[in-house]
Amino acid sequence: MKKILPIAFLGAAALIFPVSVKTIFLDTPIENQMGTVQKIFYFHVPLAWIMMLLAVVCGVAAGIQLRRDSKRAEAVSIAAAELVLVTGLGVLITGPIWGHATWGKAWTWDARQVSTGLLWLIFAAYVLVRHYGAAGSERLAAALAIFGAIDVPVIYYAVKIWKTTHPSNDVAGSLPASMWAALWPALIALLLTSMALLLIRVQQELTDVTLDEAWVDLDDAGATKPNPAPGPTPATGDA
Amino acid sequence: MDAPALLSLRDISKHFGRLAVLRGLDLDLRAGEIVGLIGANGAGKSTLLSIIAGLMPPSRGQRVFAGSEGVGLDERARFAVVSHTAQTYPRLTALENLELFAKLRAQAGCHSEPLLPTLDKLGLGYAAQRQAGTFSRGMLQRLALARALLGKPEMLLLDEPFTALDRPGRTLLASVLASERDRGAAILLISHDLEALVSVADRVVLLEQGVIAGAVPRAPDNDTFGPRVRELAGRMPAVRAEAGA
Amino acid sequence: MSVAIAGPVGAPVTRSDRVTTLLGMVALRQAWLLAVNDLRQEARDLELILTSSFFSLVVLIMLGMSFSALGVSSQPLAVPGMLWLSVAFVGALTLGRIFTREREFDTLRALLVAPVERVSIYLAKAFVTLVILLGCSLITVLGLTLLFPAAQPFAQRPMATAALVLMGCTAYAGVGTLFAAGLASSSGKNVLLSVILYPLTMPSLLFALVATRSLLEGHESFTTYLGQLAATNVLAFVVGAWLFEPVLVGVPQKRRGTARAARRRR
Repeated sequence: MKKILPIAFLGAAALIFPVSVKTIFLDTPIENQMGTVQKIFYFHVPLAWIMMLLAVVCGVAAGIQLRRDSKRAEAVSIAAAELVLVTGLGVLITGPIWGHATWGKAWTWDARQVSTGLLWLIFAAYVLVRHYGAAGSERLAAALAIFGAIDVPVIYYAVKIWKTTHPSNDVAGSLPASMWAALWPALIALLLTSMALLLIRVQQELTDVTLDEAWVDLDDAGATKPNPAPGPTPATGDA
Repeated sequence: MDAPALLSLRDISKHFGRLAVLRGLDLDLRAGEIVGLIGANGAGKSTLLSIIAGLMPPSRGQRVFAGSEGVGLDERARFAVVSHTAQTYPRLTALENLELFAKLRAQAGCHSEPLLPTLDKLGLGYAAQRQAGTFSRGMLQRLALARALLGKPEMLLLDEPFTALDRPGRTLLASVLASERDRGAAILLISHDLEALVSVADRVVLLEQGVIAGAVPRAPDNDTFGPRVRELAGRMPAVRAEAGA
Repeated sequence: MSVAIAGPVGAPVTRSDRVTTLLGMVALRQAWLLAVNDLRQEARDLELILTSSFFSLVVLIMLGMSFSALGVSSQPLAVPGMLWLSVAFVGALTLGRIFTREREFDTLRALLVAPVERVSIYLAKAFVTLVILLGCSLITVLGLTLLFPAAQPFAQRPMATAALVLMGCTAYAGVGTLFAAGLASSSGKNVLLSVILYPLTMPSLLFALVATRSLLEGHESFTTYLGQLAATNVLAFVVGAWLFEPVLVGVPQKRRGTARAARRRR
């Protein structure tokens, strides 16, 4: 089951991707103002949504990890954080390409760009702390992830309070039906790929933990001294 | 004859990744006894102390102190730790260091002993108004102990308390520990100093390969305690090498 | 001089006896005691205040030199950044220093094993950080007002500026204290402090930036932005206080039965 699910997801994604590409490039009209380059939107937006979803998943898993000292939750948290970095890179690359082609400026320092960049930095810090931190720093990293997850609504909210060169939040809602039709396949394909990668990475982490515990158990079996009575030895009386 | 254990450790394990430090350790600590803990460097003594003190959770196992598994405010009010680092504020005087903790205890609804007499008991009365930063290591050690004794703790955990002390200091410490034991405290004493342990402990246990691998109680006749403790210590790798075994 | 403490001799007062003392009150009072204690120590040699203030001055001069050529119309865009960059740098230095000291003398662990509410430690350290930051911000605000004409609104609206600086520094202290303490207690490397602090405090500083700019430009939505900044403060402290104990010492778990224990019992 653990092996089948990611493969199934990847298989499904592999099937949907060509459909998605076809839909985007052949079936959807070219947008009036921005031209062909607007089609980056169909990759950029799903990646951004997936990034935010993964950030929340990471934060929630980190919360469970702290609360219940759960190794599974910790594995999910690690995997999700790394995928936030990957999808985030996708967002931060496709966005400026779109921006440069559309508004002539790749990076406009508007609220949404900044917030996405910040989110990326926070989860990069998470990965660095996990990698280079000392013994107790898993909990510290978990706190980082929780703050990062809380930052996600900031991204959403930022568009509302500040003036921004980003299309407003309503861009998805005001699309013609044919453009929606192109968004869904891309979203599903990317989501399936992300989920597959997440599951694989979680499995890697859990295997690591299992290996560690097996190593410890092996060590324990090798230390053959039986445990003597914890109190005073009966034969010689007590203190 | 056996009082119920004040502190009960069952199957305590702690590992950091692949490194297993404690492996299913069992230990009991009773009121009115001093247990000496010896072990080679890296055997896990400080880790064990941290787990008992509630500073880190064990990977597995159960720690019960005074009938409770938690390490909340109430539990922390009933035991005290003297670490091998002094853990005192250098820019405060000795008295102010104690006063801080006495006030913190008071706010948590806990009693504290009078401060100056406590300092006197540990031979620091004359330095009460001196900043702790001017103290020698031995004096800092005694100050930390004074702070630990403020709350008349039911359990006292000491990590290498004899190390920095001169002979008079060790004698003083030994007598303070004995009087605390007689008052009914359970004392766990981690030390390399076999002589000190022999003079004051009721039982000496050896931490080896992550478990308690040997225990030597003080017999009524007393004379064999020292040699038996030394024999137990001889099982530690470094001591074995020294003895040329 | 001894402190007479009420309570039964030798027996701690249990929580059920403290019916008239709300848990919150204990935490706040202990936090205040710890904060006063820290500040009292600081007053004895002024190391932290002097070094942080000097650092603020140095940063101010560097900013002044870097941006002296800015035209008056561009300055309102740059001054907010200068103020909050300065806070970010001084904050990182201050937090690093406070917890390096804690680690050097291991006093944090002494507090963690004492009957002290863990959240009190958090609040006390955050408060001390805030006090230092406020002092340094005063230097920065005054300096910016002198160096840049566009920063005049700071002087013209001192109450608004004070509120703004207070909120911004509080948000920084709230977030930064949690992570600096976490690093100090896990014997983590200090270099990670910068890695963590800057990204994490940036969201709050962002709100502070926008609020500052609206203050300098005389925008009417200044109070709204100030309110948002206050909201980030509340969030930072609530989450920080909630996470402090789990991060530093972990959450005690229920008994874990093990296969190994079963083997041993056989």
